[in-house]
Amino acid sequence: MGEEGTEGTVHLLCLAASSGVPLFCRSSRGGAPARQQVGPWRSGSPKLEGLPFSVIGSLNGVHMFGQNLEVQLSSARTEDTTVVWKSFHDSITLIVLSSEAGTSELRLERLLQMVFGAMVLLVGLEELTNISNIERLKKELRASYGLIDSLLGDSELIGDLTQCVDCVVPPEGSLLQEALSGFAEAAGTNFASLVVSGRVVVATESWWRLGTPEAVLLPWLVGSLPPQAARDYPVYLPHGSPTVPHRLLTLTLLPGLELCLVCGPRPPLSQLDPQLLERWWQPMLDPLRACLPLGPRALPAGFPLHTDILGLLLLHLELKRCLFTVEPSGDKDPSPEQRRCVLRSFYTLVTAVHFPPEPGQQEDKAEDAAQQPQVPKACYLVSGTEEPGTGWRLVALQSGPRRLLLLLSAQSPVHGLRGLATRTLHALTPLL
Amino acid sequence: MVRAGWPRDILPSPCPIGCPAMARPPAPGSVIAPDWHESAEGKEYLACILRKNRRRVFGLLERPVLPPAVAIDTASYKIFVSGKSGVGKTALVAKLAGLEVPVVHHETIGIQTTVVFWPAKLQVSDRVVMFRFEFWDCGESALKKFDHMLPACKEKTDAFLFLFSFTDRASFEDLPGQLTRLAGEAPGVVRMVIGSKFDQYMHTDVPERDITAFRQAWELPLLRVKSVPGRRLADGRTLDGRAGLADVAHVLNSLAEQLWHQDQVAAGLLPNPPEDTPS
Ligand SMILES: Nc1nc2c(ncn2[C@@H]2O[C@H](COP(=O)(O)OP(=O)(O)O)[C@@H](O)[C@H]2O)c(=O)[nH]1
Ligand SMILES: [Mg+2]
Repeated sequence: MGEEGTEGTVHLLCLAASSGVPLFCRSSRGGAPARQQVGPWRSGSPKLEGLPFSVIGSLNGVHMFGQNLEVQLSSARTEDTTVVWKSFHDSITLIVLSSEAGTSELRLERLLQMVFGAMVLLVGLEELTNISNIERLKKELRASYGLIDSLLGDSELIGDLTQCVDCVVPPEGSLLQEALSGFAEAAGTNFASLVVSGRVVVATESWWRLGTPEAVLLPWLVGSLPPQAARDYPVYLPHGSPTVPHRLLTLTLLPGLELCLVCGPRPPLSQLDPQLLERWWQPMLDPLRACLPLGPRALPAGFPLHTDILGLLLLHLELKRCLFTVEPSGDKDPSPEQRRCVLRSFYTLVTAVHFPPEPGQQEDKAEDAAQQPQVPKACYLVSGTEEPGTGWRLVALQSGPRRLLLLLSAQSPVHGLRGLATRTLHALTPLL
Repeated sequence: MVRAGWPRDILPSPCPIGCPAMARPPAPGSVIAPDWHESAEGKEYLACILRKNRRRVFGLLERPVLPPAVAIDTASYKIFVSGKSGVGKTALVAKLAGLEVPVVHHETIGIQTTVVFWPAKLQVSDRVVMFRFEFWDCGESALKKFDHMLPACKEKTDAFLFLFSFTDRASFEDLPGQLTRLAGEAPGVVRMVIGSKFDQYMHTDVPERDITAFRQAWELPLLRVKSVPGRRLADGRTLDGRAGLADVAHVLNSLAEQLWHQDQVAAGLLPNPPEDTPS
């Protein structure tokens, strides 16, 4: 599974549900922002960015046909492609086609939820549900292309799939937390966070209460944009305020480290000038600097991890936060991209097949479900070659609201996996 | 400025000699030493905005550091970059900041600001000043949809950069209207016109004679830019910071020149240029 890398393409179609008029087409090959890592498959392949009009028409047609018969067509598979359809508010239909290795319905369904969330975030629900002028809507949707492309392409983050916020653990969290709360109050908002390359370092209580998908999408958006000193973007919160716009303010304290605020009409961006920032944040310069390398590492320097661990995903399903890193023993095979790919596939597998539904997906809490005797609390998998003793090990462990997934080197003895995972989860528990 | 007190609404528009509240732009190279950044001294100063031959990106808590012996003053300015969608505002700002220019056009979601530091030498005093330009770039549809955006961009701005694209005639023809609308609103604010996509000159919709006529009518500084990726370092990926600076030095110097001059005029430190004084 997964080790074929990220060959294959994801195509996304967006149509007005009632008329079938295409609103836009994006693909992981075409519209990828230039500043993202350039994969071998992205360097100017002459493939069509979109799909032929006839294909779009039939894909939509077959979905509409079902709908008229009150049949919900949700997914289909061909030899090399998986297709998922989803309608939102009877107004927008999204169709995704993926020929990526190891793709799954779960991944694509969640992708569509995030894509629709991204559209609401930047255009507002009103425009998407009361389509009065298709041409104007098409124009407005262009503002969401950057964010949507970053959801279709490769990312170091995993929140698009887990629907949990990608976080990092700073060495001096409480100091930063205090400064953040003070600054938020001075700026006149409750919603503030510090974000390092798309991952939340610390956030105010109100920020943590932001619902899904905005809690995932806001840091994701910030992490996917080219560097800017400051931004003042109108945003609609798909869960919390889908029709009334708020403002997302971002201030780059240090390159890669951004202070994010969600607020109403005040304060104006000009009020958050360098003098004000210096007053609050200059004393925090060292703790702030210590956050910079945390992006891909997620854990503080020197955090003891077993040397067999090549990648780690820790989820807190109630807080809806996660820690994701493929940095440990970075000099060894497989490459970071491969590790991410393997862990993503493994997450999909255990979530779709082995583990109980996550809270929010179903009513009951993960905790209750995990206590039922027939529900597995751990599972493992050997990936890669079929020769004994050579594949990478994957192990997943569920304990209360926490779920830990580890990617381990082929040398790691299979009989020790459970113990290693348990000890690692124990060590990580104070962090998330 | 002699005519500054005239009621603005009775002014004919477009006013043939530019905005009456404005001093004439200084002659190119008269305020800022144009090629100083290429001199040995200039190169030394440029080192503080570079790191390992790449442009340094500064967070809002940071600034270029010079040895204490050569500590210099910083002059900060806000510059609003204006022009219709797709003319190349975001690309220009990225180019000036030494960042990757966007290849695909993504509509800018709202307001975004970019800080560019630029050391330059004043002609009169031989003093070096660190210019800090804060560029305000806003997507056109956000400007139209949200009422607070345009006032936020214009508030206390020191300069307007009006962009048109050499490949889009409509964006050029739009200029007089924009300039006239602003003429009464923002006296004493530097205005500059920038023609983007000059690398596409073969496909231009705006011939040289139109540029000449525009210059004569408006007497505004007009620059041509190519916001295309510059030379890369030996790794083939990273942009070469010095080469990138050389590509945009004329724009940064010209901005510095206009802004410094305007400050001097506003502070009453310069006599009005003779052409502006009817006697
Ligand atoms: N060749 C060339 N392309 C440019 C230039 N400036 C902008 N572009 C391209 O034009 C498109 C729109 O530019 P952008 O800066 O995003 O426009 P904005 O809407 O005004 O911000 C992008 O695809 C840019 O790559 C230029 O000077 N030369
Ligand atoms: Mg733009």
